[in-house]
Amino acid sequence: MHEPLTVGKIYKDNRQKFKIKCHNNSIGYGRVVTSSKLNRPGLELAGYWKYFDKSRIQIIGKKENMYLRTLPEEGRRKIITKLCSSGTPAIIFAHGAKPSDVFLEVARENNIALSSTPMLTSNLIGQLMDYLDWNLAPSTIVHGSLVDVYGVGLLLTGRSGIGKSEVALDLVERGHRLVADDIVKIIRRADNVIIGTSNEFLEHHMEVRGLGIVDVRQMFGIQAIRQQKRVEVQVELVEWDDDANYERIGAKVNYVKILEVNTPLVNLPIYPGKNITVIAEVIAMNHLLKFMGKNIAKDFEKKLAAKIRKKSRMAMLEQYLKKDFE
Amino acid sequence: MVRKEIKILNKYGLHTRPATALVTLVSKFKSDVFLEYKGVKINAKSILGLLVLAVEPGANLIVEANGVDEQEVVDDLDRLAQQKFNLE
Repeated sequence: MHEPLTVGKIYKDNRQKFKIKCHNNSIGYGRVVTSSKLNRPGLELAGYWKYFDKSRIQIIGKKENMYLRTLPEEGRRKIITKLCSSGTPAIIFAHGAKPSDVFLEVARENNIALSSTPMLTSNLIGQLMDYLDWNLAPSTIVHGSLVDVYGVGLLLTGRSGIGKSEVALDLVERGHRLVADDIVKIIRRADNVIIGTSNEFLEHHMEVRGLGIVDVRQMFGIQAIRQQKRVEVQVELVEWDDDANYERIGAKVNYVKILEVNTPLVNLPIYPGKNITVIAEVIAMNHLLKFMGKNIAKDFEKKLAAKIRKKSRMAMLEQYLKKDFE
Repeated sequence: MVRKEIKILNKYGLHTRPATALVTLVSKFKSDVFLEYKGVKINAKSILGLLVLAVEPGANLIVEANGVDEQEVVDDLDRLAQQKFNLE
């Protein structure tokens, strides 16, 4: 789902944040970065290459730079050549260090971008890894609407024309916040968090059948929108089917996998006159209650079972007493 | 499932009018239809999805259809694209 992430794009996106400065006229900007991890090649410079991962960007910190200076000219050139020809996508110098002439020469031969930033090595690693994680995360596009309802990310899905946008619009009108309509871009952060955003071009535009394209942000103001939201519940709108079995108790939760993350799924049958918006709000509130350890359906089941048990014990007692003649 | 590549021949790419024609055609069919362009796959029954693709003239789109009338929808779509969505 991605356009490949190139070194040039990383530098362009972070030029301001990292104050990145390129030292060799943008050569090697076309190289593609596939790993969100970074490497400080300390051990490699010292000669240990066994577990070297060539897909990672190399960060030369103060330590590495100072170590290189201690090496004799010949050994330094050798080790730099090995690093540059390893297939690594780019090399960044932290602490405002400048690459030496040998480094520049070898990098030119191997077509590798050399750049430096005044940031501290650890700060650079933290922030750059966050950026890479974000941009290389697994992603997908879902046809639906994502709305923040009482802080719960509801992903409304269903076949084209079933009324997802209308429900989203209704929710916005009731004070909830729209994240995306029609095209929801979902990415996975960490292992179990999926986050939905809108398309950069589409933003908070919405299509209402019979009316056309409207802009929710212009119409309802800034408080009616959100840039991104964790997707917490999927609400699938389906047409009412007399033969289908719908959930009646709700003690059992169905799940759907979005990018391998288990997400609660509610199948919601619709028919004219049914207020889906209010039900969507109830779904969100129910999710919050469950999250806080209160499962209404389960509690109800338990209460009922206790009541039945009590009744049957009473019946047994009555039986017992009936036989107690005197 | 049927997959086919179609070419957008319109002079200004897939702007609002051809996109509307495309959605109107696809919506008549029962199959699920998807369009893929530059790695982004969208539902062809959604006008906003199509507009977001911002397909330029001469670009190739991959149509993917799933359902009872999958072959017809792909063929009709191909024909419509060749006729420049009856606009030019």
